[in-house]
This record gives sequence, structure tokens and C-alpha cells, in this order.
Amino acid sequence: MASVSEMYDVGWEEMRDKLRKWREDNCRNGEQIVDVGEELINEHASKLGDDIWIIYEQVMIAALDCSRDDLALTCLQELRKQFPDSHRVKRLSGMRLEALERYDEANKHYDAILQDDPTNTAARKRKISILKAQGKGAEAIRELNEYLEQFVGDQEAWHELSELYINEHDYGKAAFCLEELMMTNPHNHLYCEQYAEVKYTQGGLENLELSRKYFAQALRLNNRNMRALFGLYMSASHIAASPKVSAKVKKDNMKYAAWAATQINRAYKMAGRGTKENKCSMKTVEEMLESMQITMS
Amino acid sequence: MPIQLTSQAYCKMVLHAAKYPHCAVNGLLVAEKTKEKKKDSHGEPVLCVDCVPLFHGTLALAPMLEVALTLIDTWCKENSYVIAGYYQANERTKDSRPNQFAEKVAARISENFSEAAIVMLDNSRLTMSCFEPIVLIYDHHENKWKSREVTFDCFEDWSEAQKITSALLEGRSYENLIDFDNHLDDLRNDWTNPVINKSVLDLC
Repeated sequence: MASVSEMYDVGWEEMRDKLRKWREDNCRNGEQIVDVGEELINEHASKLGDDIWIIYEQVMIAALDCSRDDLALTCLQELRKQFPDSHRVKRLSGMRLEALERYDEANKHYDAILQDDPTNTAARKRKISILKAQGKGAEAIRELNEYLEQFVGDQEAWHELSELYINEHDYGKAAFCLEELMMTNPHNHLYCEQYAEVKYTQGGLENLELSRKYFAQALRLNNRNMRALFGLYMSASHIAASPKVSAKVKKDNMKYAAWAATQINRAYKMAGRGTKENKCSMKTVEEMLESMQITMS
Repeated sequence: MPIQLTSQAYCKMVLHAAKYPHCAVNGLLVAEKTKEKKKDSHGEPVLCVDCVPLFHGTLALAPMLEVALTLIDTWCKENSYVIAGYYQANERTKDSRPNQFAEKVAARISENFSEAAIVMLDNSRLTMSCFEPIVLIYDHHENKWKSREVTFDCFEDWSEAQKITSALLEGRSYENLIDFDNHLDDLRNDWTNPVINKSVLDLC
């Protein structure tokens, strides 16, 4: 089988930089990381300098995702040799046990870390992940709430909690978590748009109006967010179609929906430039929007 | 009325699950629209010729699902298809029961197609070689969703489906599978998956 460097004609520096980009973007692409990382470790370890340790960590976690226990163990052993008393490495040992579904042993590892260092957030979060993996959604939510009382600024945790609530269909509480995230990240269009989706799902006229406003806000922050554009169209159309609204509100929302429809058609037109298949997709969208206007009015 | 899966429908579902092993995934199954309803068409299976992969990750939010259902419905009408079922693979390996969300979507599909089915993927049996079918099929009986025994009759041609799915998994074709989420990220991504469809055809 051809090596990564042969297949893509890249040198070891590009491979190292790619791994760094994936680390920074927090991508969960296990197979690619294993392909690139394994080759980097096997062929170019000496050139990587101190970067090698963080690469071992990254590759180890990716190897767990791909069921490559052999590779994971190799990386783990190198890290243990270099950092014998490290809590960070102990957490990786715990993660390996989790991957092997030896949850009780993994919990013991994390409890040992927490005995030594009660503020170790990584260990606490792993324990919550174990509850999630075991299907104990309600317990995971409880533990995560307790965690957030202490570590109020942990955005990853707030986001995880919002997802747990969505899975339990508790949209009100999911919205609350997203509100926390929007407060601390007012320019993040993704949080705005997710909040709008949750409000829309909750349903009811008030929530629909709120959702429309937040879809609009997400668009203001990023005018290429298609979900926000579609969301604006859907929420405005539903409000306009509701029998409970005044004539003015109906008229305003029909205007918003019409504007959104134009933007959607324009976006599809731009995307379809040049390809025959996408032209059919553009036509489908036009027809869909027209048919929705008929059912809504 | 039982549903049957073509190789294309089956392998795209499996590829979708394989592309996002750490997420829940879902999608729609489409069948060809039959022109006349024969009087004794009760025993005849509904052939699901294709599937449209929808989302991965957080499945239970309404707005994009509505957009997808409406858009795909329009596409179906243009191609004489009808949305005939819903598939889902849960996030956890050991969890293959349809949840409240799956039942809701299926109920919505049932409004247009009375014999809509839920197809759940059994993650714990997903392998590269695909020795056995890994789907569980649920039909609506007396207000409950009941699972039906899956035999090779649930497939138009099981050995072909097995061969094609296994080949595409080995070749990592799932990296090129497009779902509706990918389409929303970049409109140029085509959720009808012409490239994968061609690969399936080439292997038939």
C-alpha cells in the first residue's frame, strides 16, 4: 500500500502541519490522523523534536477511534516513558480502557487523578463521557450540571450539555445552555443559529418569532450560513401562516420570507454555475419554495 | 406491506453510518411511485430503490428536517418517487431501538405513504465484510412500531448488496458520501450522490 507521502506527494513538514491544523480545529477524523500520524511517527520521529509528544497524544486518541489498540498502546508507552507521573498521560490510559469498554477500571484511573488533584477538569469530563457511553443520559446531565456550577466558563461543557438536553427532548434547558454560549461568544453565528433551531423545535408562536430573530442575527454575523437562511424562511413563513397574528405581522413576515426565498434561489444559482446536475437542484428548490408559498397562504 | 431494499439503498445507508462512526445518522428511503393500486397488492413488497442521507450528530431539531423533507419530497415528485421510509443509526453501538424522534418522523412520512417503515441499523454488527444484513425493520401495527424478522427476502438481491457494500467500505467510498448536512455546509455538495450511485452501478 502506498504511503501517504507518496499518494499525496507531500513531505514530512506538510504532514506535521496538517496534524497541527486538525488539532487546532478539533477535527474528529480518526482514519486520516492515523494514516498521516503513523507514517510520521514511524519514518520521521527524529525530525519532529518536541512536537512528537503532542503528536503521540493526537495519534493515540485517533487510534482508539479506529480500534487500532496496537498503535494506541505504542503511543501510550512512549508517553509514559517520557512523562511517568503525568495526570495528562494517566487520562490517556483511562481513555484506552474506555475504548476497550473496561469502564470500571477507567473510572478508577480518573478517581485516582481526582484524589490527587480535585480540580482536574479533564478527568471529571471523562467520567461524564463514560456515563454517556453507558446510555445513562440523565445521570450524565446531572453530573455535568454539577461540574458547570464549579466551572462556569467551560464552553465545551455548556455545548455538550445542550446536546444532551436536545437528545432528551428538553429543549427549554438546551436553549438555556446555548444562551450562556451566546453571551460569552456574541459573534459566533453557529451558536445563534443553533439557538434559533432549538426555539423553532420548541414550537409556539413566541418561540417561532424568537427563532426568526436569531436566524436573522446569525445571518447578520455570517451571510453565507445556509441553515440560518432556510431557518429564516421557514420561521417567517410559519408565522405568516398562523391564524393568531395581526395583519401587519403577517405582512411583515411574508416580506421576510420572500426576501429569504430570493436569497436562497440566488445562493443555489451561484452554486449551480457550470454543473448540469446542480441546475436540476436549483429548479427543485424554486419549486419547493413556490409550493410552500401555496400551502402557507 | 413489507419493504424491500435494493443494493443502492442498502449500501448508501451503511456508508453513511460508516462515515460518521461517532455520531447518530439518519436519512430517508425512497420508492418508485406505482401508477395503479392493484386490488391484491397487499402482499407485494415496496421496493426502496434509493436512500437520501440526511443528518449526522444532533438529529432531533426540527427546522432543517422540515426543509429536507419538503425539498426531497419535491425532488421525489419530479422523479416519480415517493418517500417510503426512514432510517437511523444511533450514536451508541449497543443501542439500536428506534427512539421517539424516529417514530415522529416516520409518523410524518406515514401521512403521505401509509406503509412507511423504520429501518434501524445495528451498529454492533457493522463489519467490513457485511456477512449478514445489519438492518432491523419496523412496521406500524395497531399504534405501535413492531420489528419484523429480516430475511434475505427483504433485499432485492442480498448477495449483490453484500458484495457491493463490502467493496465500497473497503475502498473507503464513505469519505465521498454526501448527506444533507454536507449540502447545507456547501450547496455544491449533491445529496443525490451521483458519484456513489455510479460506483454501485459499476459493481453490479
